[in-house]
Amino acid sequence: MTLNQSAGWRGLGVVSKVAVIILAVICVSLPFWAGPYWIRIGTGIIMWAGLALSWNVICGYAGYISFGHVAFFGIGAYSTAILMQPEYNWNFFATLPVGAVIAGGLAAIVGWPVLKLRGAYFAIGTWALGEAIREFATVVPFTGGSYGLSLPPNTSSAFFYFTMLAATALAYLICYVLLERSRFGYRVKAVRDSEIAARMQGINADRVKIQAFVLSAIIPAVLGGINAYWITFINPDSVLNTIFTDQMVVMVLLGGLGTLWGPALGAAVLYFLSQQFSALFGSSTWYLVFIGILVMAVVLVLPNGLVSLLPGARKRGVLNQVIGGVVGGIHQTKPSAGAATPKEARHDSP
Amino acid sequence: MTVLEVSAVRRTFGGLVAVQGIDFTIGAGEVVGFIGPNGSGKSTLFNLLTGVLKPDSGNIRLFGEDIVGRPTHLIARAGVARTFQIPMLFWNMTLLENLLAATVEENWSTAQSRAEQVLELLELQHMTHHQARDLSGGQQRLLEMGRILMRDPKVVFLDEVAAGVHPRLREIILTAIRKLRGQGVSICVIEHDMELTQSICDRMIVMDAGKVIAEGPFETVTADPTVMKAYLGDITL
Repeated sequence: MTLNQSAGWRGLGVVSKVAVIILAVICVSLPFWAGPYWIRIGTGIIMWAGLALSWNVICGYAGYISFGHVAFFGIGAYSTAILMQPEYNWNFFATLPVGAVIAGGLAAIVGWPVLKLRGAYFAIGTWALGEAIREFATVVPFTGGSYGLSLPPNTSSAFFYFTMLAATALAYLICYVLLERSRFGYRVKAVRDSEIAARMQGINADRVKIQAFVLSAIIPAVLGGINAYWITFINPDSVLNTIFTDQMVVMVLLGGLGTLWGPALGAAVLYFLSQQFSALFGSSTWYLVFIGILVMAVVLVLPNGLVSLLPGARKRGVLNQVIGGVVGGIHQTKPSAGAATPKEARHDSP
Repeated sequence: MTVLEVSAVRRTFGGLVAVQGIDFTIGAGEVVGFIGPNGSGKSTLFNLLTGVLKPDSGNIRLFGEDIVGRPTHLIARAGVARTFQIPMLFWNMTLLENLLAATVEENWSTAQSRAEQVLELLELQHMTHHQARDLSGGQQRLLEMGRILMRDPKVVFLDEVAAGVHPRLREIILTAIRKLRGQGVSICVIEHDMELTQSICDRMIVMDAGKVIAEGPFETVTADPTVMKAYLGDITL
């Protein structure tokens, strides 16, 4: 018996192991045999797999629905873009840690008060954070305002593919070790499932939630930096648009909330479909209708996401837990005898 | 030796006084039963003693140290463990993970083998990798007991731990309580089952309307007219 039989290489069957190896070989070798279009698709899928993972850390593992995650993506993008301007002329790779530190620091500062909120209140608080950062980027001079910033061009699509792959792979490795293989993961999941009970096991829930929020903020900051260099021009609309967070949410729900590989699966399916949709029908609002139908279908038919269709997948009910948290956050406004008040206790129900 | 000392503890919710100026002490290795009608403030008192709620006034001293206002996790680390009136499990985690999470702040190197022993004691080993949400009501209470057994608590609060539990599972819970008692752990029990209370408690504290109305051995308090009045009301037989 291992600590967690369902996660990890040893828990996989032979077919699954072969599939993972084939997938890994395809990922690593793609730029050597695929054309520019498919390299671009691959780069996009990998970036979104990382972004979806980051949202999954705060929602799927920690139980907090964030609607402002794009803020961290934008901070990473702007950090890289500003530091690569001719007057600073930083090396691209040196800019990435800067964005990560700023995003992580902001998450720690904002998280301290905001993570005391629960459910819909936290969602609104993070949404406000995203909007505030967007407005900030629009009005301050060093971001270029609504005109945006241009970055030095790099025409090597393979460079961005491998950089994105390395960053996302590292993010998955770190999350796997921290959330599935260490005490920290038990702490995070315990706080998600029952904060009061977690505190009664000696877990410092406030600190754990901030740590999880910081982890979830660092990943999109790094990917945002790479994305900025990749697209060579950024403005508030292109890197601080709420559609980024919306896509992360849909990808995680589609793939499987609270699972390590669900976000990657959801990102691959949704990004590929969206690109095909655009190729067939052009850019239109019908894509949003398609997304809406997809979300409804997943919630109704596959509440545990596409990952639950994989062999050996574990049944989870994180979606109910998180949605219950939103409802609980709204209704837990009045203290009652015998029960903890909202400030003193959080939602705890199966 | 006094483990827990409670003096003049009071807590209100708006206009409702849930606990009004309670005093008592718990000694080392003592098993104390808390009884009283529904709404008498027992669970609120447990929430105050474990740091889940903060008292409006009064003192709570654990091993001589004031713990009022101390965060719940620090009170837990000082040796306090509890179950809840409505079980609060880690619903999306397996039974094994629930037990490991209980010991995440201590004894991590022996957690795995300890969890296996606890699951065996609770006769839940066949559900090791099931999620907590798959458990029946009685099994949920067993798992809460299991989390306590995973740690090395010095004071344990059990809030209706055997309520609505099948007699077979009830026996397992009693075995677990006796095991804790054998280790010298002080135990506070809220329980409506008088037979169970009588069988495990050294002393009873009876509460009504947020106050302690009687204290002493089971036979004494159950014969007390004030206690009978609290339970039965003003009736003349």
